[in-house]
Amino acid sequence: MKITVYLGTGGVGKTSLAAATAMARARGGAKSLVLTTDPARRLRTALGIAGNAAEQQVPLNGAGGGQLWGALLDVRATLDDAVRMYGKPEVVPRVLNHPIYATIASSLIGMPELMAVERIDQLIKRGFTDIVVDTAPSRHALEFLDKPILFADLAESGWVRLAGRTYRFAAASPIGLFGKTTFEVYSRVESILGTRLVTQILDFYSLFVSIAEGYSSRARQTVKLLKDPKVTEFRIVTTPQKAVADTGYFLGELESRGYPVSAVCVNRVWTPDAGSERPPGLEGELLDWYGAVRQTQQGQLRRLAAGFGARIGRIVPVPELEVDVGGLDSLEQIASSAALV
Amino acid sequence: MHEQARVAIFCGKGGVGKTTLCLAHGLRHASAGRRVVVITSHPLPELAVTLSLAGLATEYPAAAQNLFVVHLDAKELLAEVVRANFPMAILANAVLRSSLYNNLIDVAPGLKEFYFLARLQQLAERKGPSTGAGAHEFDMLLWDAPATGHFLGTLRAAKSFETYLSGPLAVAGAELARFFSNADSVALVPVTTLEEMAVTETVEMCKALSDEFRLMPSAVLLNMVSPAIGADHAELARLRGALTLGKLNGPAMRFAAERALLEVTRARELGALLAAPSVAVQRVRHWSSDIDLLAQAGESLAGLPAGI
Repeated sequence: MKITVYLGTGGVGKTSLAAATAMARARGGAKSLVLTTDPARRLRTALGIAGNAAEQQVPLNGAGGGQLWGALLDVRATLDDAVRMYGKPEVVPRVLNHPIYATIASSLIGMPELMAVERIDQLIKRGFTDIVVDTAPSRHALEFLDKPILFADLAESGWVRLAGRTYRFAAASPIGLFGKTTFEVYSRVESILGTRLVTQILDFYSLFVSIAEGYSSRARQTVKLLKDPKVTEFRIVTTPQKAVADTGYFLGELESRGYPVSAVCVNRVWTPDAGSERPPGLEGELLDWYGAVRQTQQGQLRRLAAGFGARIGRIVPVPELEVDVGGLDSLEQIASSAALV
Repeated sequence: MHEQARVAIFCGKGGVGKTTLCLAHGLRHASAGRRVVVITSHPLPELAVTLSLAGLATEYPAAAQNLFVVHLDAKELLAEVVRANFPMAILANAVLRSSLYNNLIDVAPGLKEFYFLARLQQLAERKGPSTGAGAHEFDMLLWDAPATGHFLGTLRAAKSFETYLSGPLAVAGAELARFFSNADSVALVPVTTLEEMAVTETVEMCKALSDEFRLMPSAVLLNMVSPAIGADHAELARLRGALTLGKLNGPAMRFAAERALLEVTRARELGALLAAPSVAVQRVRHWSSDIDLLAQAGESLAGLPAGI
């Protein structure tokens, strides 16, 4: 089994590289799947994925004995599934219709990452052996790694259990159950947030706690897989301009959490050499500008190699295409021009 | 004279250069003597900001006096509220350390966003002419907003407090919702590159902002464009002809021309869809430091309408 996680700041091209990687693996004979959170419309069409529907096989033309599959991570639908899977039948409809539930799926930062872990677990159970994931296009990419653990801690923390199991009695005689200091804290927090909000949240937890418990033990196992270098590799995606800063940041964060980093993919590198001839007019002006930008990028790549070459297995430059990335043909082009397998 | 908006919001897709252009704009005006506050709200750009501003004090001493970059951490803002609510520090700290408090604010829908917006509005109220009688602390407030999804989510937080909660927060929510749907208080400055995905997202974001908050862009910034943006019609037609007829020499020339012409098409499409002036910022060729990059990008921003 192989899990490849692409990680990086927003807008650097994680989704395209993840899709191109899955395609290259399929070409090499694997049954590979790309799990993506937010594909652009054309990529979504190319991969044939819609909604949270089951995985779709993508027809590949020509040689290669493997299969390419695509799947979209729909956070709300995955959370719904998890609630149905881990919740007791009588609790499920009350959780799904709870006013807090509607907002927890859409506005809780880190929820996409949490659900990605849940979905990876499902995919493994369904027999996919080569999974390529792109993390949510957020500034909080690292919550992909932190949230499952936080969530597990949450489910196991004393007050949530207390609130979850005994909330209804606690509401009737709070001092007896919480203890005096806790009650003092509780009522102060309540005065800041408003009674109704606090009541709603506690009520939600009282329903959700058993689901969170079921979920968290599985999430811990999946996170263990993500930390196993024999199974998982993390790849940092960046652009030439941000390469040094992004690599330093993500490498530090990943290493400190014990996740295996295998490569830095520098996307959108301008490859062809501008040469020395200068045509007149707009052509010349364009070529001049192109050559200067390319030269700057080469310098940025050299600085990346000098700064991190020894700490990272591979630095993979990925050429920028002259067209927009979207269709299967453009993924082919990326897969064939960069060593992403 | 039309009073300028209180907050200029640099918004758009991730990775298009919001932070860079927001800081570039701030640096430009700080150098000209205006007192500028740039607000960032997310952890990673905070890092980028620190890097970008290295050397500010030595290379642009005048601007360094006038440019303030403030990282607003919503969790820290909430902690201030807690401290204000408790007479004794020891009790306040007990609350702040308790898992009850920390878990509640983590899941309370929109709470952190709400406090962030409230502080932004508070800062906006303090904005005004920094010279003359009754001088204010600063006269320009720029918000380097998070990427589209989180940005819209932040603005919606004020509305949702108004619609589904009662109590003091709901009242404050209604006030915030009014502030952030008012063209006199906020000026939208979407930033985009001329790639398909970024352009699509910009158009969709502007539609959501118009539908939900009645906010229209004051100007659209086209970032990292080629010199072909702004070239005259005849020259572009010549270039297109040469590309089509296969008369361009070498892969670099063809690559540059193909991308440049695609950008020209995108810029036209965007112009037709958004009723706002656009300002093109050419991709910078060389820069000696991050601060130099900001200074160069800032020169292109001279074309922004007054009041931003």
